[in-house]
Amino acid sequence: MNILEFIRTAMVALRLNMLRSVLTTLGIIIGVASVIVMSAIGGGASKQIQDQIASLGTNQLTIFPGSTNVGGRQGGFGSAPPLSEKDVRALREGVTGIAAVSGNLEGNTNVVVGNANWVTRVNGVSAEIQNVRDWPVKSGRFFDAIEASSGQKLVVLGATVARELFGGADPLGATVRLNNAPFTVIGVLSEKGQAGGRDQDDIVMVPLATARSRLVGRVNVPDQVGQILVKVDDRYDIADVTQDIERTLRERRRITADAPNNFIIRNFADILQTRNQTARTLGLLLAATAAISLVVGGIGIMNIMLVSVTERTREIGLRMAIGARGSDILGQFLTEAVLLCMVGGMIGLVLGVGISWIIAALLAWPMHISPWVVLIAIFASAAVGILFGFVPARRASALNPIEALRYE
Amino acid sequence: MTPAAPDAPVVSAQHLTKTYQLGDFAVHALRDVSFQIQRGEFVAIMGPSGSGKSTLMNMIGALDTPTSGDLSIDGIAIGSLDRDELAKLRNRTIGFVFQQFNLLARTTALENVKLPLVYSRNPEWQAKADDLARQRLREVGLGDRMGHVPSQLSGGQQQRVAIARALVNSPSLILADEPTGALDTETSLEIMNLFKRLTESGMTVIIVTHEPDVAAHAKRLLRVRDGRIVEDRATAELAL
Repeated sequence: MNILEFIRTAMVALRLNMLRSVLTTLGIIIGVASVIVMSAIGGGASKQIQDQIASLGTNQLTIFPGSTNVGGRQGGFGSAPPLSEKDVRALREGVTGIAAVSGNLEGNTNVVVGNANWVTRVNGVSAEIQNVRDWPVKSGRFFDAIEASSGQKLVVLGATVARELFGGADPLGATVRLNNAPFTVIGVLSEKGQAGGRDQDDIVMVPLATARSRLVGRVNVPDQVGQILVKVDDRYDIADVTQDIERTLRERRRITADAPNNFIIRNFADILQTRNQTARTLGLLLAATAAISLVVGGIGIMNIMLVSVTERTREIGLRMAIGARGSDILGQFLTEAVLLCMVGGMIGLVLGVGISWIIAALLAWPMHISPWVVLIAIFASAAVGILFGFVPARRASALNPIEALRYE
Repeated sequence: MTPAAPDAPVVSAQHLTKTYQLGDFAVHALRDVSFQIQRGEFVAIMGPSGSGKSTLMNMIGALDTPTSGDLSIDGIAIGSLDRDELAKLRNRTIGFVFQQFNLLARTTALENVKLPLVYSRNPEWQAKADDLARQRLREVGLGDRMGHVPSQLSGGQQQRVAIARALVNSPSLILADEPTGALDTETSLEIMNLFKRLTESGMTVIIVTHEPDVAAHAKRLLRVRDGRIVEDRATAELAL
């Protein structure tokens, strides 16, 4: 019997018990669909973080105050003395290998234009931020160094904010109110897209001095910055530059040799790499959990195939009597099991991709279906068919034709 | 496997024994049975249940092998054959007909008849499987029922499909186990006449039955009792 005959015979047998075939396949359908959905969720999270790394750049450092230890009591995050414009200047002048550096003071604000308003993040930055973050304006201009330090009420809108408040209209030169103070729009940033589930373009940028005096409360020192953002020159090793920054800041903050840093230098790309690992591990875990349902589906197939072999004992006896060999019977039942699983796998694949799309659309969760997952799903369902179909097929092929023919 | 000479016996049993071991207890199903069946014979094997009749039938059908002695089917000694070789022998030389017809449900008469060809591993036969099956169905008078499934056919028609299936590989012998057991008298007669016609055209037919009426249609009677052949004679001597 050739493979075509096997498939034809298997189709006839499966159609004879249509409802049973469908119910049996359901286990595989659900198994494969859940493997695909779960790995799409995991893959989406991982891909999102990778995109984020790409959009942030891998040569950026963020420095912020750490915690202090006063009399054995560990202070909270940011409880250490704040960073200031002087630190920014010290780094710019004292550390080699820094391509660009800017202070940053971040807060939230409500942007009002006419009767439209939009709550967004506001970043007080220097003109250099454009170089630090590789983020040019799409239209208009950025504030220059003098404007940045003079506290003028100028604002550069992120693309999302511009679109939400102005629609298609040109916002340049318009007056918007941030926390009730009028600001003049001088530029719109180019689009950066999503990162980490947050829209990077949902932002407005104002001069640091302006943010300090008008928008971000709780300023302890006159020239305070929340963080210092550094872009390391590509020609220098990021670890060397980090060390250099650390030494400079320890000196400036008069930290004794045996005391720990009271500031943190973070390479966000590194953190994201770690998060990426976590996401991938999570994705694998989800897929592994889903794979269990595939195994359960396989056991269902085995169960039904065993029932089918018992039910069709006489048929097997007849086939043997008229000349079927053990290998013919084995092939026939194995084909049935594999066909069940493959059809289930295909339906599960379509279902899984469909559900992934729906989840992506409804929950705005980034789903990523790797072609590998699709291939693996198909092969896995075939493998499940062979694995769990073998025992029943083996049993069928080992039947004694005399007893099989006499079976009632 | 070399084909037997045309005048060689289709079935040749020499000192055939079959012993089943049930724990410590040995069941002697066949004890030193010898006989020959020639080409074109129409033989009935009779005997009460437990006589060894079924064992003998299974062995002639190459479903079972003897404990000792020799049994040749179409010149081939079955004693030394393995499972696959027995399957091949059954496929090539024996056509089975059963009491319960044993047709595949919801499968057309034509497909049922083709089944032995599917397992024949003979590309030439497989290529013209449809033609061979149609021809056999016409021979048993079912040329107009080829697309019918068993549930649409009467008992007699189903048994004729089974006979067409037994014939499709051009076997050396037809082995029928109570072929009329599930049929009424009139239909039984039709089936027996069909067998008779087949033997007249040179086919060897062996019927296993416990009904004397059925056995009477055969030309030769083998009576089995307690694992031995106790009677071997021509039924014409019955002078019906």
